[in-house]
Amino acid sequence: MWENRCKVVLSGVGFSKATRTAERPLAAHALDAVKAAVEDSGLKMSDIDGLATYPELPATGHAEVDGISIVSVNCMMAMLKLPNLTWHIQTGSVNIGGAVQQATNALLAGVCKYAVVWRAMHNPKGTYQNLPGQYAAAATQFTGPYGFGGPGQGMAVAYTRWLEKNNQNREKMATLAVTQRKHTQHNPHAYFYGTPLTREDYLNSRMVAHPFCLYDCDIPVQGACAIVLTLADRGRDLKPTPAYLAGYGQRLHFEVAGRIGSLSSYMAGGSSSAKLTWERSGFSPKDVDVAQIYDGFSASVIYGLESYGFCKEGEALDFIQDGRMELDGELPINTFGGSLGTGRIHGLWHIIEGALQASGRAGSRQVKDVNVSFVGASAPIVQGTTFIFVKEPY
Amino acid sequence: MSDWSKVTRPIPVPNEWTKPFWESAKNNVLSLQRCQACKHFQHPPYATCVNCMSVDLKFEPVEGKGTIYAYTIMYHTGDKRFASAVPYASIIVELDAAPGALMAGNLLDAPYTEAKVGRRVELTFQKLNDDFTLPQFRLAQ
Repeated sequence: MWENRCKVVLSGVGFSKATRTAERPLAAHALDAVKAAVEDSGLKMSDIDGLATYPELPATGHAEVDGISIVSVNCMMAMLKLPNLTWHIQTGSVNIGGAVQQATNALLAGVCKYAVVWRAMHNPKGTYQNLPGQYAAAATQFTGPYGFGGPGQGMAVAYTRWLEKNNQNREKMATLAVTQRKHTQHNPHAYFYGTPLTREDYLNSRMVAHPFCLYDCDIPVQGACAIVLTLADRGRDLKPTPAYLAGYGQRLHFEVAGRIGSLSSYMAGGSSSAKLTWERSGFSPKDVDVAQIYDGFSASVIYGLESYGFCKEGEALDFIQDGRMELDGELPINTFGGSLGTGRIHGLWHIIEGALQASGRAGSRQVKDVNVSFVGASAPIVQGTTFIFVKEPY
Repeated sequence: MSDWSKVTRPIPVPNEWTKPFWESAKNNVLSLQRCQACKHFQHPPYATCVNCMSVDLKFEPVEGKGTIYAYTIMYHTGDKRFASAVPYASIIVELDAAPGALMAGNLLDAPYTEAKVGRRVELTFQKLNDDFTLPQFRLAQ
């Protein structure tokens, strides 16, 4: 087990009001979320001495403009002018989960006391994957000429392999989309709060990239969320009940850029990250009371459930049936609605919900008697991280 | 059947690792990067052998018979270059001679509904311009 288990806690959380289009600059969203997280923790902004983010814009073919389409650490420093800042970082190899892990390490190293991590996501005008080019360079030279234009297709190819290899039916995924949208109705910060979804809506919706229909894809939004991390001794004195970080992991599987569709790579990425998390925390999948699993595309949950070890390979679509992923089910999944419910803010919201469920702060969507709360943030293949939060330190 | 006639395929931009692939394809020969130490084929090309870490890599011709490893049928028309062919099948092929070296392609000369995991396909070539020819796939005869 990890000697640093339960030494770091997730305290305050904050959200901006996510909108479909970029009516306000992204920097304003990030600032709203950070202020809300600091206020939720009961701290003053001047207490914050650590900053971390993963600022990447996943929409291709759009300019990265700081404050408009990304919010870098530099941008946040300019907005906050923190008098006591001692540490900051931007991560690259494992999405926002990497920023949370780096902030954890910084706290354990004693180089800051209260770290803020945010993820801000921009929805550009026009087509999200803007691919007007006459040329296909770098990794796309082997995919672009064949009409592989976006991450949806990259995920979809692995999903057809999963479905047909396992003799499965994509219609079973309706359960995931509908149940997560039901959970969304308990999350006022979510984009689809107030908009229910029926099984018929799912089954009748238009195809985007078979086997993905519209409701298998998260909706791009303009929004941000943020957290405050600190050491457990300090976190216990703050306003909210803390969620103790029992362990984390990151994908170790290597993938050559431009090689797409490999189902085994998704599985290897997920299992490598989860293995570290199980070993560090001392828990196993059967100990988990509630799970948040990244769902930028619905099939990510399938790869997650199987590669993290919650069910056998080929069985995840059956595993989520019969109420198992409901709030009162055997393994409630994506209890905040997931990215399919909140809109595309990547994995920080999954991490936030994992912590809120562990600390008993999830309101009307709170799962009963939670101690062990699992998070798989980001798609397992190239960006995956995993976390376990607990209510009771051990 | 997808209508490819109005599609504007983006032209590949080779780099130092990938140039031999495209030069070979121009002559209607599929050549993949092969590790001279462990004889592993890999695709896309890379600086080292992803199997044994050797840097002794050469491009060698491979036989163009394989199976559809995975596929997707594109319905979304966001990519205007391909919008006129929607719906179309983009496939991932695993060649018999190069297990694990996954190649992208389209399923040509067949309705997109014929794309299925495990279906046998064979190599064909599609000329883009005087400088570039795409390796492509059709159902095995």
